[in-house]
Amino acid sequence: MTVKALYDYDFPSADRVENFGDDQLVYVHWKGNLFLVSAATFRAPKAMPFGEFVSAMINPWASSDPDFDPSSMHDWCLFDESFEVADDRSLADLGIGHKALLTFST
Amino acid sequence: MTIDTPQAAPRKKLALKQRYELLTRDLDWEPSYVSKEKLFPYTSYEGIKVHDWDGWEDPFRLTVDSYYKYQAEKDKRLYAVLDSFAQSQGHLTLSDASYLNAIKLFIQGVTPLEYAAHRHFAYLARYLEGPAPRFAALCQSIDELRHCQTQIHTISNYNKYYGGFHSWSKMHDRVWYLSVPKSLFDDAMSSGPFEFLISISFSFEYLLTNLLFVPFMSGASFNGDLPTMSFGFSAQSDESRHMTLGLEAIKFLLEQDEDNVPIIQAWIDKWFWRAYRVSALVAAMMDYMLPKPVMSWREAFELYFEDQMLGGLFPDLEFYGIKPPRHVQDAIAEKGKLSHEVYKVLHNFSFAAAFTTQTPDDGHMAWLSEQYPETFDQYYRPVWEKHQRIEAEGGRVFFQGLPQLCQVCQIPMAFTEPDDPGSIAFRRSDFRGETFHTCSDGCKWIFEREPEKYVQAWLPVHQIYQGNCGGPTVPDVLAWYGIQDGDNGEYKGSPDAQSWAEWHRHPADARSLT
Repeated sequence: MTVKALYDYDFPSADRVENFGDDQLVYVHWKGNLFLVSAATFRAPKAMPFGEFVSAMINPWASSDPDFDPSSMHDWCLFDESFEVADDRSLADLGIGHKALLTFST
Repeated sequence: MTIDTPQAAPRKKLALKQRYELLTRDLDWEPSYVSKEKLFPYTSYEGIKVHDWDGWEDPFRLTVDSYYKYQAEKDKRLYAVLDSFAQSQGHLTLSDASYLNAIKLFIQGVTPLEYAAHRHFAYLARYLEGPAPRFAALCQSIDELRHCQTQIHTISNYNKYYGGFHSWSKMHDRVWYLSVPKSLFDDAMSSGPFEFLISISFSFEYLLTNLLFVPFMSGASFNGDLPTMSFGFSAQSDESRHMTLGLEAIKFLLEQDEDNVPIIQAWIDKWFWRAYRVSALVAAMMDYMLPKPVMSWREAFELYFEDQMLGGLFPDLEFYGIKPPRHVQDAIAEKGKLSHEVYKVLHNFSFAAAFTTQTPDDGHMAWLSEQYPETFDQYYRPVWEKHQRIEAEGGRVFFQGLPQLCQVCQIPMAFTEPDDPGSIAFRRSDFRGETFHTCSDGCKWIFEREPEKYVQAWLPVHQIYQGNCGGPTVPDVLAWYGIQDGDNGEYKGSPDAQSWAEWHRHPADARSLT
């Protein structure tokens, strides 16, 4: 179904990838952690290596929970599919696109 | 000597019913310079068919003079209470300064909606085709403006003494948690006139008013906030008129044409869930922000929604072919979780809010455990006890980052699966090659019904990342929000808590300090 309107109803998405230049949004969820209430949103360069994304962005956020131990992160998923991480490959290379959801367990 | 001046015989005063008839039906006219379609361009494109606008029954039969007389008397009484509360330093008799966090949420989140409603009912007062619904909309438009003004006056007294009350209008347009109520109203105001009636008059003001509006007023009465309670009483008769308008609107539209039924059912399905999601903020307020709680969210939901609406209203609407809202079972399944999940959000993020939060103490947790025997001890007590341990060592956990938001309700995606309070619910849709995330089947269904509309959502987190909110750092964004130091963060040790302790120090202690 479409919006009922008196004119052609056609507007661009507010968060289309073009609005973020060389970057994109990535969501990261710590599975089973009810202490941090939701997944986090990051703006990260598409070319950023995964290892750097984890150390520079995910770890400082996950450390909000004092029990966080970076060495225990495992079982990564991209959306619902399990996913092989590679620290030296970029987000784009790994197929992590704009507004993708990554999850991990500890 | 007397001069007789000819005098017209005194005119007989008309009965209220006749005056109302003259005012509504007889002041209407058939347009001759323009076509009816040009005069009322918005009443056909939604697909709603109305055959006889005179079928609209307004049970209140209000006229302008009786309306003004009545409202003026109510205002007089309210302002007398406000004066005496201010003169007697009434704020010192509140249950606790932390109570005012609920009122901060109210003036930031609800008062601007009154103004938005005023604007949109003024639009309906011009553009609905029938004279009776136009007049009902006009009265409601004036009511809403009056509510907005009296709320500002009622609450402004607290602005002299407490943080968080100063920039609510700007905050409503900018701050992340206020985008939740704001975007609901924007959604309604950008719909057609009939959808607006079903969204605001029916779903918001009729179906859920006892869960959206009344808890603030009951909270005020339990916590010594005489001004807000008096405002509530003063608005009560207006609200019952608004509820009647909501009910009359839906019955009128259902009776006009059978083809209206599926359109209205879809609007009920959408707007129940939209308004219910906003009520999640009220749920958190009821269970966590009132030093003296009125009743739990769960109890209120069972009484006001399950008993009164599902048990009372919907069996009546079944006659017209209307079913209970889609996704209502998900709302019922959430009643033991909703307030906890949302207060945890506010607690994690109050560094960026214009109110403060605190970890519930042992007494408060005992009450929550009693109210939520199936969920609290298993899922939420461990979280709060962890906060207690961290705070006992001088820490305070805030979420060091920005949350993921639902594309439709705009609440951080903290809601869990209906059957599993341990796992966050993620729903997603693809539209024009882009991924969109929603928090529930309800919000996903709403998105997919009108994706062209919701892709435009102004999501506060994404806007910060696009550089549209004052700058890249938290202090930049807070400055742009209008949040000042001390409005936000933890309640314990906050300027409000310190002032409160200072004002309530025992005179003997005060003397010993000097």
